[in-house]
Amino acid sequence: MSTDAEQQAPVGFFEGAPLTFDRAEGWRYFREPGEVYQRDGIWFLTSPAAVRFAHQHPEIFSSAKAFDNLGSPVPLIPLAVDPPDHVRYRRLLDPMLAPRVIGAIEPELRRQVREIIGAFVHRGSCEVMADLANLYPTQVFLTLFGLPLDDRDMFIDWVRTIVEAPGSTASDGATPEAAAAGAALFGYMQGFIVAKRAHPGEDVLSTILALSGDDAWSDEEVLGLCFLFTLAGLDTVTASIGFVLAQLAGDAELRRRVVDDPELVGPVIEEVLRLEMPAPFTPRVVLSDVDVCGVSIPAGSFVFLVLGSANRDDRDNADDIDLAQADRGHLSFGGGIHRCLGSHLARRELRIVVEELHAMIPEYTMAEGFVPRIHWPSGTLHLTALPITFPVADPVTDPMGDPVGDPVTGRA
Amino acid sequence: MRVVVDAAACTGHGRCYVLVPELFEDDEWGHSSARGDGEITDAQRAQAERAIAACPERAISLVE
Repeated sequence: MSTDAEQQAPVGFFEGAPLTFDRAEGWRYFREPGEVYQRDGIWFLTSPAAVRFAHQHPEIFSSAKAFDNLGSPVPLIPLAVDPPDHVRYRRLLDPMLAPRVIGAIEPELRRQVREIIGAFVHRGSCEVMADLANLYPTQVFLTLFGLPLDDRDMFIDWVRTIVEAPGSTASDGATPEAAAAGAALFGYMQGFIVAKRAHPGEDVLSTILALSGDDAWSDEEVLGLCFLFTLAGLDTVTASIGFVLAQLAGDAELRRRVVDDPELVGPVIEEVLRLEMPAPFTPRVVLSDVDVCGVSIPAGSFVFLVLGSANRDDRDNADDIDLAQADRGHLSFGGGIHRCLGSHLARRELRIVVEELHAMIPEYTMAEGFVPRIHWPSGTLHLTALPITFPVADPVTDPMGDPVGDPVTGRA
Repeated sequence: MRVVVDAAACTGHGRCYVLVPELFEDDEWGHSSARGDGEITDAQRAQAERAIAACPERAISLVE
């Protein structure tokens, strides 16, 4: 019987990693066999030196074939593109996601997060993943691309289906569900490409569609970019919002320090990005035989750059949050030519969420007895839930200016 | 003493100009360069080293 066979199947090295409750243990598990090693047909690069070597040699560590298992019907642009074509895309895309551009839409991004928090500020409790972290990054994407915010929940369902598909961590192709969600997303975006070619707006999508001459993009290229944004840019930020707020909700002293000194928001975010990675495994395909840290990897090998392990391998007490060391950085946004295109946007979203949450709800704590755990195995790592409790805000001083509490008790 | 950003190595993480804006500036692509001719004072050396340590690409160096 197939169910028996599944139950008896040995758990592979990858799936068997003890990441669910404790990432310190999980990333040590991947680091312990060595800097460079092979298990179950997959090569693992786990040290900062090995990961950096791969980042610096995109001509050997190809991205082009490494993402075929996701449910995208088009190549993910510019992630799944190798040099020399890659530079053409980044030259056009980097300015659209540069810090100065994001700064210009920051007031709108702040307004949206206040609105989301305003929906639960009077409840005294919320589930951070469902009530905030799942919603906000998708709204930011829809805002950037000039798409209707009303489509948010549909979008979230598609992306969740694609990135959480069981096959999304291995090289065994997309599941039927992921392929169906991919097709739905494809059709949706195709409709807007037609509409925005006819009636351009002020958004990123319209800007790309307006490129002409040698810079002009085909519909397939635009769709590839849309898929990259949705698959790489939504679930990852959702996960990071959860990880940052879990750290603060679980450590009252740290939270008070950050509330009292907003200068610490940046360092906290950097340290949580280092320790709690939404996308800790970067897939690559080796195009020619290569030596990495003294180990030979043959051409054609499938490789994971284990950023989660590399981030904990460059300092003493590397498993602990240390705000004084936050400047020393991490590899969570990758490196080399494929440096995360959305890194500036992701950092800004995280900063905005923490600052606006602390302005409206400065005191909060993880729900009593709750033990946070991540969804594993999965292509992206995120907390399954994060229930928090907090004192109910006084409706009179509600920053939304819209008292919704009980008129007798003042409680929501 | 000068601080130098290797333009070929910089991929626009932006850590240097966020952490030490007095020594580095961003361009339209979010890539970095040293402000002015990159000349720094002894008093600014610690800030330059902060940026050097923060650069994920190891793209920043000090030149005597």
